[in-house]
Amino acid sequence: MLGLKKKDRLVEQILASRRVVFRCFCRYALILPVAVFIVVFLVIPYANMVVTSLRPFLSAGRIGHGLTLANYQKALADPYYLKVLGTTVLCGLITTATCLLLGYPIAHHLAQRETKHKGILYAIVLSPLLVGAVVRCYGWMLLLADNGLINSFLQYIGLGKAKLMYNFFGVLVGLVHIYLPFMVLSLIGPIQSVDPTWRSAARTLGASGKRVFWRITFPLSIPGIISGSVLVFLLTVSSYIGPILLGGYSVMVTPMLIVQTILSGVNYPLGAALSFVLVGCIAIAVILIFRATDKLLKGVDIYEA
Amino acid sequence: MKHNTRRHKTSVGYKIVLGAIYMFILAPQIIIVLVSVNAGQYLTFPPQGFSIKWFVEFAHSEVFLTTMRRSFILAACATTVSVALGIISAYSVVRFGGRFRKQLRLFMLSPRLFPAVITGVALLIFYYRVIGWGTTSYWGLLFAHVLVSFPYVFLAVSSQLYNFDLALEEAARTLGANKLRTLVKVTLPLNKAGIISGAVFAFVVSYTELPMTMLLAGRNLTTLPMQLYDYIRWSFDPTGAAVGIVNIFLALVAVWITEKLVGLETLRW
Repeated sequence: MLGLKKKDRLVEQILASRRVVFRCFCRYALILPVAVFIVVFLVIPYANMVVTSLRPFLSAGRIGHGLTLANYQKALADPYYLKVLGTTVLCGLITTATCLLLGYPIAHHLAQRETKHKGILYAIVLSPLLVGAVVRCYGWMLLLADNGLINSFLQYIGLGKAKLMYNFFGVLVGLVHIYLPFMVLSLIGPIQSVDPTWRSAARTLGASGKRVFWRITFPLSIPGIISGSVLVFLLTVSSYIGPILLGGYSVMVTPMLIVQTILSGVNYPLGAALSFVLVGCIAIAVILIFRATDKLLKGVDIYEA
Repeated sequence: MKHNTRRHKTSVGYKIVLGAIYMFILAPQIIIVLVSVNAGQYLTFPPQGFSIKWFVEFAHSEVFLTTMRRSFILAACATTVSVALGIISAYSVVRFGGRFRKQLRLFMLSPRLFPAVITGVALLIFYYRVIGWGTTSYWGLLFAHVLVSFPYVFLAVSSQLYNFDLALEEAARTLGANKLRTLVKVTLPLNKAGIISGAVFAFVVSYTELPMTMLLAGRNLTTLPMQLYDYIRWSFDPTGAAVGIVNIFLALVAVWITEKLVGLETLRW
């Protein structure tokens, strides 16, 4: 008797779980086309690139069978490639720091409730994002070129010419300009969500405006600083249109090297290996940033409360 | 009193700094506008006078017109597919995501989280070696554009759906509408704003996409950003600025529509 009851219950359970599975299936059937699309055009290509990076390179366009680490060895041991990687990371660090320096005041300003003409100011920050990197770099080229507006102005007032483009400085200006909106957008939310009563409490207790900012607003916006910095760093080290247009091949960065290896050398395995070296660098940088800020945050007692 | 005047002084300095940064953000766009209406070959100081000859030049340039038409069509196709995918993904993640909602959201945004160049390289190798499309396939280019533009539709639509009042759907159901009818007649029209602003963003993203397009589009599929990129590397001819005006105009339209429909402040990532 008891055994039969057990069996019944088991059957019931199986049926119930099947119903749940079916319901789940119906729900996820909707998500299926999108999931398939992302798997086919993102996951599989990346998986394929991992395999390609481990294949031996025969000649332009031809890839051998078998597995080898030779491509990674070349990507990591070649002094020229390492130098390029160093330039890329340096470029990323300087750009991220500058974006933070320029983006923070803007984000702070936009996060304030009493700021006027917010719509227009938001539009100023956001619209460049939608103009496209080429047109923005072109604008900078027209400003910074040897016979561009700035130099012609400098000559007009008798100061002579300055080399502003086709060097490291030009690349930095372009990159900072392209990625500044991303930093601002990452910072606004966290700054806005700082509870205003804390600020007024600090003021009531006699803290100056400066002190309130450095002891309350700034420490509490650190999560935004981290996410913004990670985002800008990631975007900067993987950009190549800005560096080509404003650096004119005088500043070589890894993405340019990857594209050159793929398009001119038709060396897919090496290009793939270089891509993953860059991804590895990004991952290491992101981990380091998180580690560093973890320590930093421990020093802020607000977070422990 | 003394305290107040000191605060006022610092805020003036702060305003100057802010103004300078806003100017920095606007500078290249302003210069494009100025160069396109300047008479001279270069914009020098002082300027040489007003002229629309660069727009005339642009209107007569076969290459720019062809590539612009191609970019418009490509962006329109990519937007259509993106809107469909974006609505489906936003709806299913917000409604049925359950405890995996966060992971699913990340999954949907993943195409934008990978560096565009590297995704381009991955797709190029995939197209060449696995599918056999190479760089001459329109489909390959289109899917790549959809991949980077549909997350914007997803973002816009899902942020609206999160704040959507479910009672409205329940009311429709109570009145006898089935699930599909409720979706088509109630949910989608009420989330129109998110869909439109997502679509506008997707269009502009596809229209200006370059890092992936450059890898995936062969000579027969040159888009406008590619053409402009080639052009400005070798000459500073202001015709390029006249072409860039279209981009600036599109960006302003996109921002204006988003501000009107959902408010720019909702854009976060």
